[in-house]
Parts: sequence; C-alpha cells; structure tokens
Amino acid sequence: MSLNLLPTPGPAAAPPSSARRLAVPPRRRGVGGTVTALVVIALLVAAHAWGWKTTEFSLPQLAAGWQGMVGFLSDAFPMDLDWESVVLPGLQACGVTLAIGLMGTTLSIPSSLLLAVLGSRATSRNPIVYQVARAIMSFFRAVPDIVFALIFVTAVGLGPFAGVLALILHNTGVMAKLWSEAMEEMDQGPVQALRVAGASSAQITTHVVIPSVIPQFTGLLLYRFDVNVRSSLVLGLVGAGGIGFLINQSISLFKFDQMMTYILMVLVLVIVVDVLSGMIRKRLNA
Amino acid sequence: MSLATPTTPRLSGPTQGNDAATALAITGLRKTYGERTVLDGVNLEVKAGELIALLGANGSGKSTVLKCVVGLADIDGGAVEVAGHRVDGHAGRKHHDAAMVFQQIHLVKRSTVLENVCSGALGRLPYSRSWSRSAFPKELREEAMACLDRVGLADRAHDRAGSLSGGQQQRVAIARALCQRAPVLLADEPVSALDPAAAEQVMELLRSLADDDHMAVAAVLHQPDLARRWADRAVGLIRGQLSFSCPPTELTEQMLGELYAPDRG
Repeated sequence: MSLNLLPTPGPAAAPPSSARRLAVPPRRRGVGGTVTALVVIALLVAAHAWGWKTTEFSLPQLAAGWQGMVGFLSDAFPMDLDWESVVLPGLQACGVTLAIGLMGTTLSIPSSLLLAVLGSRATSRNPIVYQVARAIMSFFRAVPDIVFALIFVTAVGLGPFAGVLALILHNTGVMAKLWSEAMEEMDQGPVQALRVAGASSAQITTHVVIPSVIPQFTGLLLYRFDVNVRSSLVLGLVGAGGIGFLINQSISLFKFDQMMTYILMVLVLVIVVDVLSGMIRKRLNA
Repeated sequence: MSLATPTTPRLSGPTQGNDAATALAITGLRKTYGERTVLDGVNLEVKAGELIALLGANGSGKSTVLKCVVGLADIDGGAVEVAGHRVDGHAGRKHHDAAMVFQQIHLVKRSTVLENVCSGALGRLPYSRSWSRSAFPKELREEAMACLDRVGLADRAHDRAGSLSGGQQQRVAIARALCQRAPVLLADEPVSALDPAAAEQVMELLRSLADDDHMAVAAVLHQPDLARRWADRAVGLIRGQLSFSCPPTELTEQMLGELYAPDRG
C-alpha cells in the first residue's frame, strides 16, 4: 500500500487501481419474505380498487364536463381588483383570519401544557391521571375544529370569537399530544439523576423536563400556528369571520371574480406564514 | 501536566479508617431480574473518608450495586444502610443520603451550571421554594457557588452546562452531588467517557472529597490502573459475587485475569 505513495518514474506508470476485491456473498432471502410482500401488494391493490369504486372516480366524466370549468374560470377572470369593495375588505379579512389563528394558538398554550404534563409518561407517574389526560386529548383532537365552531356559533353568534374558541379546543388536543411525545422522547438520564437527589415529579418537571424540551415545544408551537391560520380559513366558511367568510359569500353570490381575488390573497397569506414559521424553526434547530 | 501526576500510592487502606464511621454498609445484597440473579449476596462496607474502586467485567453487577443503594433498583434480599439509615427495598421510596454521578453525566444541558448545581438540593426543598428557579432561596445559590468552587468551576456559574467540556461537566455533576449534602457519593464509571487528563482531574477530585471532606466514595471503574493509583481499596465482582476486596497495591495480574476472563458463563 505504502508503495503507491512514491511517485513512480518512467513512462509506464503503475496500473491505476489494483485495490483488492472480494465477491459479495449471496444474500439469503426466505420464501416467507416474498409471500409477505405479495400479500401486502394484493391488499394494497384491493384497497385502492375499493376506493376507486367508492369515490366514483371517473376521468371520462371529468373530460365530459370541461365546459363547466371553463365557464367558471371565465367568470373568475379578470379578477375583481376594486380597492374599495374587494381588495380592502379582503385585506382586513386576512387580518381577522391571522388574528383568529394567533389567538387560538396562544390561548391554547396553558391548557396544552397542563394536559401534556399530565399525559406524558415522562412526567406523569399516576396511571389514572395519565389515562384521563390522554382521553381528553384524544377527544379534543377527534372532534374537528369546524364542529366546535358550529357549536360556539350557537353560543356567541357568528364571528371570529367563535373561531378562536373552536381553535383553542381543537389545538389543545393536538398540541398537548405533540408536546407530551416530545417530553417522552427526551433523554431520561437527567430525570434519573434528580430522582436520586430526591426530587419530586413536579420538581423534575419544572427543573429538568420543561427546560430540556423548550426548543421542541417552540418549534411545534410555530408549526401549529401555521396550521391554525389555515384552519381559520375553513372556519370562516361556517361563519367565523375572516377571509374564509368572504370566499363563501362571493361563491353564494356567484361573484367568482371576487372569489379569485380572495383566493389569491389566501395563497399569499399562507405562504408568508409558512415561510416565516419555517425560518424561525430553522433558527431554533440550529 | 501536574494534574496527571498521581499522588503516592495509598499505604494504608483498611488500617487507615479503623476508627472512621461506616457510612455505607451492604450485607447479603441480592438482586434478580426475572430468572437472572444479578447480585448474589454482596457484602460491602465503605467508611467515611474512604475511596473504594468497584471492578468487574460488563454485566458483573457493579452498577447494579450502586442502583440498589440509591433506589434506582429494588432490593430483593439483604440490607443496605446509608449513614445509619436502612434503605427501603422499593424503588421510588428513597432517602437522600447517597448522591450519585454517572458515566453519561446527565446534566440539564440547556440550563446554566449554577442551576444544575442548585437542583441537587431539590430533595430538601418544599415546592414553594422550588416551583421555579427564581424561587430558589439565596442561601441555596450561595451554597451551590461554594460547591462549584470546590470543584474549581466557580467562574463558569452562568455558562450553559452543555457548553462545558466533558471533564468539566462531570465536575459540575459532582458539585450537584455535593449540593445534595450526602455523606456517601457513588460514581458509576465517572471517567469512562473522558480523556486521560480529564479523568485524572475527576479522580483527584474524588480522592480529595474522601480525604478532605470525609465522604465515603464508591466508584465503579473500568481501568484497574486508576484503582491502583487513587483508591484505598479495590473490590472485585464476578457474576454478582464478591471475588476480592484488598488494598489496590495487592492487586495481582492473576486476580485481574480472572475478573475479566472472556466467555464466562
């Protein structure tokens, strides 16, 4: 090997690479693996065949109905860019949507933290408390925010407040689960070290667990803010105000050129929030 | 590197501490995990001011001994007494008379050095004085500073623990153990992850805790050489049973060969 380090003089240079080679031994593959793979493929094909039928998936039908779409789009363009009646209200409504997302996310922090601490194996030692907390999380997660919004509309009337309340409940379920899992994934060493020192579970939570997972918590919080701004659009459709409400209104009035303007605004809003939260999260992880 | 210079081999060993109080007494300790017996009647005494080295191959049970003493593992038989208090046999119910440092150090890396050291005192603080770091009493912060000074890191108090070197972090962990005010310090492979110079520093610190602060120190070590140079007594464990307990100067190659014999069992 060390010979190669010496420059070899003369016209006939040493052969470029005479590295040692060794035949790769054949990998043994059991019949069981192949059978499993075939069964899995068959199941997947069957599932999609069933899905195709159930959703009445039909490309010919789409092709046959193309005029409908063309009509719709020709109504949508040119977009209605009237400042007074469309753009300004649209911008204000975007602000409302953003505010719903912001309030819904921030106000769900205390409840999420409480549920996460009670429902994480890292911090909760009582199995009953743990199971109850997990059940509450699952419930808030399982009920879509739009259903919560419809319920709150009956209490506080149409408007952004109902949207905020709906987001708080749904986001509590989701964020508590994400946070509790972040705590479970953390290194248990420091927890053990303080158990030895006689610290209680509550002390360990405040002095070890929470300080250790702050970066993960913040990253997940920003991610949820991003998602909640998009959810608050949909909440607007059921009357919780914001740009979603304007989109719904313009559709029911057949003003597709206005709708197109609003959709463009939504696009910009979503991209801006997404890029900003992505940038901050990147900073945090660095 | 003056730190690396070993002190002269300890002459005394057992004779030295004859009148010293027994800080840690283990008698007939048994521990099983399912069918497997990990500790089979271990007897061990450590006196105040004594530094012992626990030697043994992987899986010989030396770390388990320490875990039983601090309550990280249940005791299945025998008795453990720390500073005169009987240790309860159930993990979870503990006393705070024995502190422990680990090979993986286990500091809260994002917290400051001082906060980490203060947390050693959590066991004796009510929740009203410990619900947040801002609730820590001033006396505790000052005591923690003194502990940091003891390990030579008082100037790093407000640095993040994670920004220190491995050897410095292990010394912070020792300061945290000191802040626990325990008369017994257990060290589970405290220097296995450190470079030789840092390892010497940590061993020197453990030695000085025994000599100057009269703590009883039991350290699991993987290097017989460190035991020879720093410990008062070397204790060997083979498959959960005591194989020898002697002054480290009396360690022979034959004893070590038996201790680390491959393919046993």
